[in-house]
Amino acid sequence: MPIWLDDFLWTYQNVVYALGVNGLLGLSMYVVLSVGQLSLGQAAFMGLGAYSSALLTLKLHLPFAIVLPASTIAPVLFALAIGTPTLRLSGVYLAIATIGLGEVLRAAYLNIDYVGGALGISGIPERAGVVSIYSLLILALLGFWLIGRSAIGRAMEAIREDEVAAATMGVNVARYRLGALLTSAVLAGLAGALSAHVSSFIGPNEYGFEPAVTILSYALLGGIGSPFAPVIGAWILTLLPEMLRGFADLRLVFNGVIIVLAVLYLPNGILPWTMRRRAA
Amino acid sequence: MNRSHFLAGAAAIIAAAAFPTLAAAQVQIGAIEILSGPAAAYGIAIKAGLDLALDEINQKGVLGGQKIVLTVEDSAGNKDQAINAARKLIGRDKVVLVIGPTLSNEMFAVGPVTNERKIPTVGTSTTAAGITEIGPYIWRTSLPEADVVPVTFKKAQSRGVKTIALMYANDDAFSKSGFDVMKAAAEKLGLKILTIETFGSKDTDFSAQITKIKGLKPDAIGISALVEPVSGVVLQARSLGIPKETLLLGGNGSNSPKLGEIAGAAADGMLVGSPWFIAKPDAMNTGFVTAFTAKYNKAPDQFAAQAYDTMKIVAQTIDRAGAADSEKINAVLGKIDFNGVMGPFKFTAGRDPASSDGVVVLEMRGGKFGIAQ
Repeated sequence: MPIWLDDFLWTYQNVVYALGVNGLLGLSMYVVLSVGQLSLGQAAFMGLGAYSSALLTLKLHLPFAIVLPASTIAPVLFALAIGTPTLRLSGVYLAIATIGLGEVLRAAYLNIDYVGGALGISGIPERAGVVSIYSLLILALLGFWLIGRSAIGRAMEAIREDEVAAATMGVNVARYRLGALLTSAVLAGLAGALSAHVSSFIGPNEYGFEPAVTILSYALLGGIGSPFAPVIGAWILTLLPEMLRGFADLRLVFNGVIIVLAVLYLPNGILPWTMRRRAA
Repeated sequence: MNRSHFLAGAAAIIAAAAFPTLAAAQVQIGAIEILSGPAAAYGIAIKAGLDLALDEINQKGVLGGQKIVLTVEDSAGNKDQAINAARKLIGRDKVVLVIGPTLSNEMFAVGPVTNERKIPTVGTSTTAAGITEIGPYIWRTSLPEADVVPVTFKKAQSRGVKTIALMYANDDAFSKSGFDVMKAAAEKLGLKILTIETFGSKDTDFSAQITKIKGLKPDAIGISALVEPVSGVVLQARSLGIPKETLLLGGNGSNSPKLGEIAGAAADGMLVGSPWFIAKPDAMNTGFVTAFTAKYNKAPDQFAAQAYDTMKIVAQTIDRAGAADSEKINAVLGKIDFNGVMGPFKFTAGRDPASSDGVVVLEMRGGKFGIAQ
């Protein structure tokens, strides 16, 4: 490999990782939005995945092949615990309950010395890479694509469009919603574990309210017509600040203006098209 | 523009991007600082200090007339952006040395990356414990709190302090590690710690903690937090009747003129250790303050002073290394013997500042810092 290409890849390695991880986070938002739920717990699930995986690696010295699947356990347990009571809430109330979860966990990380308190966990070895991140992203996309085209996808869309009508038609709304929340927790947990194992440091403030809103904006910018839309949204929001580096001090201003314009003129997201589904 | 022109143009742009101009007589160095977002004030002060030093250095140049070119990248206080900036500086701009990043948390993420590429990295504002243990290419010129706080506590002890209560904000890395240092310093000096109370950085009510401390009647209260919560604690402590005889001791976070602006007379008598003081009378310091004020129309702070010295140290190191080569620079950094606005400077074998002789203990009087007697 020529030296300049090697340097080029090394320079943008972290951006490439972030694109994959944020793509997974976009999908974890997509799956709850696609059953008409507004949950802001994705950052909290991501934090659980990141912290549990970092501890498994650093304290128990487990291989990454075990750590990665194990990182989904804690988020799934929390999703089950909060999902059962809170899925009766809808709209903005579920959003508020899940924000609460994020803040409770943040306070817990801060006050437990075993996980480093405010200092976070540093020195996490680099175990994840392009292969692990992108194979998971492709698998998730493929899975959502197939589900979206199946009867399950139809039921999810029915719930999103009209919950009462869907229930009347025999769709088990509660089960679908819990399923969507669990899937979301799994994806966010994996994303957390992957990002912890490429950036060597995690801290409690990375999984609070602000990242939760960032993850929501991936899906808002991209759209939720198809699983590709939130991934594209995540990629744009991840790449923009890097591509605007040339503007120096005005970087955040341009970043904001571009997002505002996109939301104003593309209210259904950048990829508004929905999936075609075979007639039943 | 026809197609071939377009292609030629595109190729030129790609070539320009992929092969940074081979600098014949320039030394490329980089800096990663917070230039946007809520913590931008720190990064902007650091950049100002670096630029001022660079102006002076480039009048003569290094290595017999070569100019130093400094590329400053914004991290926005975000770990991922800080890593991206480091990778861009090293991979694209081919810098031989990196200054920064601004926050200790950012250094924990950036350090492993630059260290892997064997690019010497010099933090000017990273005070947390464990920074230089990241690897043999990670240095810092900022005195860790572990060197500043004991000086303040010793001063308090010389004024007859025997018992102390500690308070800290437990939700940010800086305040927590400052507290760890205060606790260690108190134990080492044999001060009796009566209680340890915590609060959140954004809290506005500290009366529960202060009332408890008041009942214990300590000789002093040590507070580790950023300046806004410290000011709040100080105001409430005095209004809840903590007597003037109880000394208030601050960490690095209290070392800001804002303390006087917010807390006013309530902060009178508070002792704060600082690696630098604007009114230090030596010629080097007065020259720096005059030049800085002339260039930016505002007075420098501690972060600008540390950055100014660091830039000078880096230039001297490159000169002594004899080449703009990361390996050679890293080898020479450890041997540097520098005298700057912060006082005499050397690195320890552990790549931290060797001496805390430059530390002065400041005392609040009428809302302004002066040197404590």
